[in-house]
Order: sequence, then structure tokens, then C-alpha cells
Amino acid sequence: MSPEFSEKTKKKIEEIVARYPQKEAAILPVLHITQQEFGSISAEEEKLVARILGIKPIRVRELVTFYTMFSRKSLGKYHIQVCSNLSCSLLGAGNFVDYLVEKLGIEPGETTPDKKFTLSTVECLGACERAPCMMINFNYYGDMNPKKVDEILDGLK
Amino acid sequence: MQERANEMIKIFIDEKPVDAEEGTTVLKAAERAGIHIPHLCYHPAFPPEGSCRMCLVEIEGFPKLELSCSTVVKEEMKISTKSERVVEARKAVLEFLLAEHPLDCPICDKAGDCKLQDYYYEYGLFESQFKETKEKREKKLKIGKSLILDQERCILCTRCVRFLKEVTKTQDLGVFHRGVHSSVNIYEGTSVENNYSGNLAEICPVGAITDEDFRFQTRSWFLKEGESICPLCSRGCNILIEYHPGFSRFELPNRVYRIKARENPEVNGFWICDRGRYGYSYLDEGRADKIILNKIEGENVLTWENISEYLGEKINSMSSAKKTSGIALILHTWLSNEELFLLHKIFKKDLKVEKIFFADLPEGEADGFLLTSEPSPNRRGAQEIGFDIKAVDLSTLADGTDFLLAFGPFLSGLFSPKYLKGALSKIKRKVLFSSYSHELNSLFDVVIPVALIAEKEGSLTNVEGIVQGFQPALEPPGESLPEWKVLCDLGKELGMDSKFYSEFPSPETILSEMGEKIPFFKKKND
Repeated sequence: MSPEFSEKTKKKIEEIVARYPQKEAAILPVLHITQQEFGSISAEEEKLVARILGIKPIRVRELVTFYTMFSRKSLGKYHIQVCSNLSCSLLGAGNFVDYLVEKLGIEPGETTPDKKFTLSTVECLGACERAPCMMINFNYYGDMNPKKVDEILDGLK
Repeated sequence: MQERANEMIKIFIDEKPVDAEEGTTVLKAAERAGIHIPHLCYHPAFPPEGSCRMCLVEIEGFPKLELSCSTVVKEEMKISTKSERVVEARKAVLEFLLAEHPLDCPICDKAGDCKLQDYYYEYGLFESQFKETKEKREKKLKIGKSLILDQERCILCTRCVRFLKEVTKTQDLGVFHRGVHSSVNIYEGTSVENNYSGNLAEICPVGAITDEDFRFQTRSWFLKEGESICPLCSRGCNILIEYHPGFSRFELPNRVYRIKARENPEVNGFWICDRGRYGYSYLDEGRADKIILNKIEGENVLTWENISEYLGEKINSMSSAKKTSGIALILHTWLSNEELFLLHKIFKKDLKVEKIFFADLPEGEADGFLLTSEPSPNRRGAQEIGFDIKAVDLSTLADGTDFLLAFGPFLSGLFSPKYLKGALSKIKRKVLFSSYSHELNSLFDVVIPVALIAEKEGSLTNVEGIVQGFQPALEPPGESLPEWKVLCDLGKELGMDSKFYSEFPSPETILSEMGEKIPFFKKKND
């Protein structure tokens, strides 16, 4: 069955679309909503978004694959994104990723079997002053070290 | 496509003063002045993209090198296309473009025809510093009827993506992912299926999109090209015919290997449709190359000279009333303006022949862009010359007819062989002028092989009334003759206005005579 947005989300999308002179311009906020609603944006969701915005699915695919904040695979409840760029790497992001790999038992790009955590390495998160940094869903965490990450992850349900 | 005539300003390119149209880009101004600035992503049909960085130039007063494809000229601008900085930058750009390129030129269809290859030869010649492993991508992705995409060779100029967005508006290709992982692709379950898909292989500046129709058939450097006009509909798109001039180490079944679009902003822009591009088998397949004598009285006649003499004699011996009612003509609208004019003059005006019919291919469907519904190139020309285009009516045709002159192979497609044979058997003398060897030929006493548009000189009138001249791109096979020559000879034999036929021996002079007689033909576009 092809996916459908809930009535509440449909209303929200209508509001967003109305803000722009062209429907297509609403694509990024609509994709964020899609990701929240379905957990990932696969081909079915691409077609849904394309239909709503009156564009071709290929245009949606271009954006979904361009931006790392959209995932085509279904993600765990908590999406851990660790910065792998220069400042973070200089301050030990590599070791930090290794620690997470060992702790969670998954490689970057994978999800734990209980679907709780997904681990990703990403490009600059724009928080070099707090390197090494990471994001869990939409929250930032800086100056990371193994002790701190243990506390954060243990606090997540 | 019409641009407003702008004021001219003076700029300097490589210290040479150059007049440039105000508002134009540096690249266009340079091209106009005969200075080539290397470029890959820029295509004159689209707005500048600026993604390949090949067209960088140095402009006095600008701290960085600028993109000539998108920088607009300004009065007194001093541009350098050859300075040390530009030369170094070009080299660096090429090095980046080639870093991820598979360098499989020996097995690439585009080799010899590839801008990336040419530019490396001209501007690159660096030693590769790339020691890393190259990204592995799809090398043989079928993306359309006749198109193969090699993502490794792609330099991401997006000409193909933009063509499908702006020209066909079908958006079949997109760029997925980003950075080093970027690649052009189709959406699963879809493919490039429009009637203009072949243009993609032509505008791809590298070997990323190749045409299955041409792939591995020959090497581009064996081919020569000749200019012609596509006769497959009444648009009259300007084309290049790429053919084998003879020499090869390989056995060759055909002469013609590829048709390409030739730019003409008034007719076809930069494009041709797939029907015109891939429908070139008519140039080589089933061609007649010898005069066929099935049934002819009197002495053996073997050459066209003998035959035209014989035909002239037979027609001249008829009374003028008999000429009017006893001669029938079957024409078609692949004939040039000049040929139709001669036919009109000889048979309609001078001999007052009544039974003139047209046998053409059945009407097709227009595609809303270039392809028209008329599957022949010169219907408009025939109308302007004064022909009433009537379809063949076999019973009227055969009734009281002694002499039939038929042109073209299309008669066979219009009637069943039995019906056709029955009707034609009532006519005493029958001559066919056709480019093809076909069953139809056996129904005629004599068959004269004739040249196709690609093999002769003349002009055509397209659907919009644009008269376009053409020159032979190929040699006519064997004994084939252009119809204008045949008709000049016949006109001479028939003894009417013989001065005309000796004075106007070429299509060019016939057309200027036409211009005198029919004002429509005064203006010819070349």
C-alpha cells in the first residue's frame, strides 16, 4: 500500500506550501515532515511528496540523496550523527566513533537490532567550537568524550 | 531565439580590440571574434551553468579568474584567454575532471570526438598525481531506447539533465547524491523515451552517454561528414550525414553510420528528432543502382541518353490532344523545388497533361515540436509551384492512358500488388524513376535509378515556407541520376523551349529562374 500522510500532517503541509510562490519551493520543509512521519524517505514516500508538490519523483530523489539529513533507510529511534570533519577529527572524533562502534556493536550507517540507535558519520555540523561534536536527533552535544557519551546514551529510553 | 539588437561595445580579448554586443557574455563575444575558449558544460541552447570551470579567463581588475560563460562584457573590459594564470587553471581543472575519469578511451565510442580528450591534448598534458582508488560506478546503464550511460566517464556538466528539463520538459534524468558520489541517473522504472532522446548522446561532451545505434559500429575518425536536409518530414531539419568514405580495415555493410543535428536557429535550433536521427537506413537499404529494362521495343537501349531519346521520340509522335489525355504522371513530394518546377513546366504547362497524381507515404502524427505530420519534405514546395496534390486514383489513371511516367517507390504501399498490376497492365508504356529495387519495378518497362536528397543538389520548401538549399553529401550509387538532370534531358528531347534546358543546366540556375516566375521562390535560405 502506498503511504499517506495523516490528516494533521496534510494540514501542516498545506500551510507550508501556501507560504511559497511555487509549490516546489516547499520541498525541504515537506521532506523534513515526511522523514518525521515515516522515519525514512524511500521511493514510496518520494512519490508521495512528488504528487503533493506536483513535481517529478526524480526531483525529490535529487534532494533526498543530496542532503544527509534525509535518510532513505529506516532509522532507529535515536539517530546519532558524529562529525567527521577537520576540527572534530583533530580533537579525536575518530577515536570517539570507534568507541561508539564498540559500545553499540554497529558500524556507521547501521542500526541496532532493537531499532533504538542508528550511527552515522556526517560532514561538518557547524559546531567546531565544541569539537568533537555530535547530534542525537535534533539535539547538539559538544566536547564529547567516552564518559560523557555513556551518560547521555544511558539517559535515553 | 530572436535577441534584441543591442548596442556594440568595445572590449579587448588577448589585447585584440573586439566589438561585442552589449549584454552578451565573454565566451559568446570571443566566439564571435573567432577566439575559442574551451568549455564543456556551456551549450548555446541553455543558460550558463558554470559547473565545469573550463572556460575560466583572466579579466583586468578582477582578483580571481572569471567564468567566461556567465560573465557579461563591459565597455573596455580587458580579457586574457591565454595568460599564465589561465593556462595553469585550465590544467588544474582538467586534472580534477580526469581524476575520477576512467581513461578508457581505447574502448570509448566518443574517442576522437570527445571534448575532454581534445582539451587534455591541447591544454592538459600534465602528469597525473592521482594515486587514490577511483570511485566505482555504473558503466553500462541503459537509460533509454538507444542510450547507454557510463557514470564513470561523466563529468557532471548536466547538459543532458538540462536538455530534458528545458527542451523536452520530461525531466527523465537527475543528479543524485553529492560531492564525489554525485552521479547522473534515471528514476527506477522510468527511462528516456521521448522522440528527441538521441540528442543526449550528441550533446554529451564526453563518452558518458553513447548511442546504442552507433556504439562499437566504427571509429569516429573513419567517418566523413556531409551537410544535408532531413527528408523524413516537412520540417526540413538541417543535418550532418556521417558516412564511411571507403577505406576501412573492416567489412562494411553500409555507407552511413550516423545522422547528427546541424544548427539552424530558424528551422530546428540545435536538435533533430529520433525519427530523423535513426531512420537513415533508407539511404543504403534496398537501393537500385542499375537501369532495369523489362520490356522495351526497338533496339537495345542501355544508357539514360538512349532511353531519354527513346522516350522523347515516343512522346513527340503523339498528337497534342493525345498528349493531354494519354500521358499520366505519378509524382511525390520528396522531389526538390527545381524538379517539381521542371515537371510542372514540361508536363502541366507545355504538354497540358491532365492526369497528375501524387503518391506519398500516408500522413503520420506530429509530435508538437519538430516532427510534422507530413512524412515528406516538399509538399509545400509542390503547392507553391502550382500543383494540385491529388492522391492516385488507379481507374482514372489507367483510363485511356498510353504513357505513364511514375516517380518514387511509394505507389506500392498504397495499393495491393494485384490491383496495381491489373491497373498498370492497361497502360502501354510505363517508366519508373525510383531509388529502390522493389517488386513494383517489375510492373514497368524501364526503371531508372535516381538519387536521393542526400545525393543531389537542389532546394526544398519546408512546412513553414522556408526554402532551403542543399548540396550532395554522398555519391549517388551506380547509375543513379538526380531527377533534375533526367528532367532537363527529357525537356530537351521534347523540343519545347530547348534553349531553357541548355541555358539552365543546374538546380541553382533553375531556382533563380523560378524566382523570376514565382515570387515565392525569390528568397532562399542556405
